[in-house]
Amino acid sequence: MNAKSRYAWAYVMIAPTLIGTLVFWLWPAIYSVYLGFLKSENFGMDNHWVGLANYERLFKDDEFWQNLKNTMLYVVLFVPLTIVLSTFFAVLMNAKIKGRSVYRVIYFLPQVTMAAAAAMVWVIIFAQDYGLLNSAIGTHIAWISDKRFAMYALVIVGVWGAIGFNMLLILAGLQGIPRPLYEAAELDGAVGFRKFRYITLPLLTPTLFFTSIVLVIGATQIFDSIYLIIGKTNVALPSVRSLVYAYYQNSFIYYDQNYGAAIVNILLVINLILTGFQFLMQKKWVVYD
Amino acid sequence: MNATKKSKAASAAGVLLVASLALAACGGNSNNGEGAASSAPASAGGASSPAASKPAGGDGGKAVTISYTIWDKNQQPAMEAIAKAFTDQNPNIKVKVDVIPWGDYWTKMSAAAPAGTLPDVFWMHGGQFIKYATGQFLEPITDKVQAGEIDLNNYAANLGSIYTLDGQNYGIPKDFDTIGLAYNKELFDQASVPYPDDTWTYEKLAEVAKKLSQPDKGIYGFGAKLDTQAGYWNDILANGGHILNADMTKSGYDEPATIEALKARYQLILDKASPTHQQMTDTDAVEMFKSGKLAMIFDGSWDNGNLASSDVIKGKYDWAKLPNGKVKRGNIINGLGNVMSAKGKHKEESWQFLKFLGSKEAADITAQMGAAIPAFNGTQDAWVKSKPDLNLQVFIDQTADAVPYPSGSKSYPVWFAKEGEIMSQAWGGAISVEEGAKKVAEMMNQAIADAK
Repeated sequence: MNAKSRYAWAYVMIAPTLIGTLVFWLWPAIYSVYLGFLKSENFGMDNHWVGLANYERLFKDDEFWQNLKNTMLYVVLFVPLTIVLSTFFAVLMNAKIKGRSVYRVIYFLPQVTMAAAAAMVWVIIFAQDYGLLNSAIGTHIAWISDKRFAMYALVIVGVWGAIGFNMLLILAGLQGIPRPLYEAAELDGAVGFRKFRYITLPLLTPTLFFTSIVLVIGATQIFDSIYLIIGKTNVALPSVRSLVYAYYQNSFIYYDQNYGAAIVNILLVINLILTGFQFLMQKKWVVYD
Repeated sequence: MNATKKSKAASAAGVLLVASLALAACGGNSNNGEGAASSAPASAGGASSPAASKPAGGDGGKAVTISYTIWDKNQQPAMEAIAKAFTDQNPNIKVKVDVIPWGDYWTKMSAAAPAGTLPDVFWMHGGQFIKYATGQFLEPITDKVQAGEIDLNNYAANLGSIYTLDGQNYGIPKDFDTIGLAYNKELFDQASVPYPDDTWTYEKLAEVAKKLSQPDKGIYGFGAKLDTQAGYWNDILANGGHILNADMTKSGYDEPATIEALKARYQLILDKASPTHQQMTDTDAVEMFKSGKLAMIFDGSWDNGNLASSDVIKGKYDWAKLPNGKVKRGNIINGLGNVMSAKGKHKEESWQFLKFLGSKEAADITAQMGAAIPAFNGTQDAWVKSKPDLNLQVFIDQTADAVPYPSGSKSYPVWFAKEGEIMSQAWGGAISVEEGAKKVAEMMNQAIADAK
């Protein structure tokens, strides 16, 4: 088989995924950029070029800035908490304890739970009147409809859902750390936390770097928990509404795809900046051996 | 060991992804099935006019399946009964009835319209009609009306005129609805309070609602829900306020009479005569009424089948007219229509079905099954009698007081969607009712200006 036909065969093999990616991800992304410059009428059948008008409107819209603030607050709360807790549990799961595969399964469960079903359960947990959380800690807080608490409720749900998978990634990272390093450190008298601090953590940084990139991108796109748990008639919605939720509202409820497209295009730029920034900063903390 | 676990997880994720893409791809074009083609090859009989306009079909009476999409699950049995009666007369045309819940209906339709995949025949709402008609997504039926195939004067309360635009007819009236006061007789009896009647005013309603409330037991006198057509729009009209001005160019939400009516309703929540907005978000007020937790609620005639489906309140509830307001008895009348897609593959068959949906026979089925008040003149009585133990006559009587649903403008879908979001801020207590109403007025006026 010559090189050419090997390539051809390779492309055939990846075609199902590649075509899917191009048609359902890349093309919509490009089309969104285009839509952001248009004013569409008649369900998108009549389009007029309006240049930057959608963006001008966006930057003058207080709601947009509030949504951006909400999204960033979510990222700032969710990402570090998820990384810290995932690392914590990964380290525990990596220890030689009885029945650890059972624990691994338990922590991984949220990953395989249907988001909508989990959301319904969370709504019951957070309910003000007969909610489990309030009865457990003896409060009467409207977790999901008080604007002071709703964001934290979403962060809890988000972290709960994200720990499993990220723990798995970090666990894989932990297993990649050579045993002899620990043995050498033990000979030198390092114990407990110092081993973690000076061996585990530095050698885990490539994994943590990857995790944080993926988590930040994912967190900026928070939508489903707002849609499912908060809901559109919730009085706390303006305090937790994310950019993607605003995109959904504008594009599919208010029939303004162009304004919606402008919102997600801004989000794309934000994500490029955040990711670029992280890559620049990796020299400062990521250890590659 | 863990490396394999990870790669397993990764490949599982990959499989999921591919599977979901495949599913998504299937979802796109699963419409308009040629479906039942295998059954009954050509029983040419039925269709009064042969499918002459069909280009490809070799023999005229080829079996086709057309889709009929509706949004109310409670009416599905009646719609299927109508479809069956139609197929009995036109054996070569099968009708598949699909339900898309109201909450998703217009989102789905707005995606289907530009994609050319609208159902062959579907329910239309006055508020959405203009958008679809101006976009030429609906098949005009003007020539059929002019040819006398259908007579739009057959329908009550001038409903035939709702689905017309620029002199073209697009829809055939299906039904109409008004709003009534549903009450739980058992809760009234327990408190020895007489049932609501024609003499009731809004003051009386508030007074009784307070009397019947037992918040510690989770029972409330009235569901002062955040709702428009089956909610405060009626209060507003009764109090002399407006939703829109007469020529639909200006919002009436900032009129003092409107704000007063909204405040009065919200006061019931503050007085604990109604569950809070949050409680009614967690559990829909109608569901609370169905589980015997509410003594009174406003609800539409279309929803009687839903209330009747509850075992808890079966035989224990009845209907009364809405209370009298300061100015009059407020009520909203709205008429649904059946329309057909301009891009359907089987237009001739769709037209035959659409025509049948507008017939007295279909209206009789609708009425007898208690689905909705049929629009066809003279068939309303059968609907009233479909549930002899309930005072359904109040819905018919109130048409005299009723104001048409404030649809019929291009801006309606936009401001209607945003209205609920703003008012939920007021109902949830984040802003005052007055502030909310004024914000809605500003938003509506902007939407009206944008739509010009």
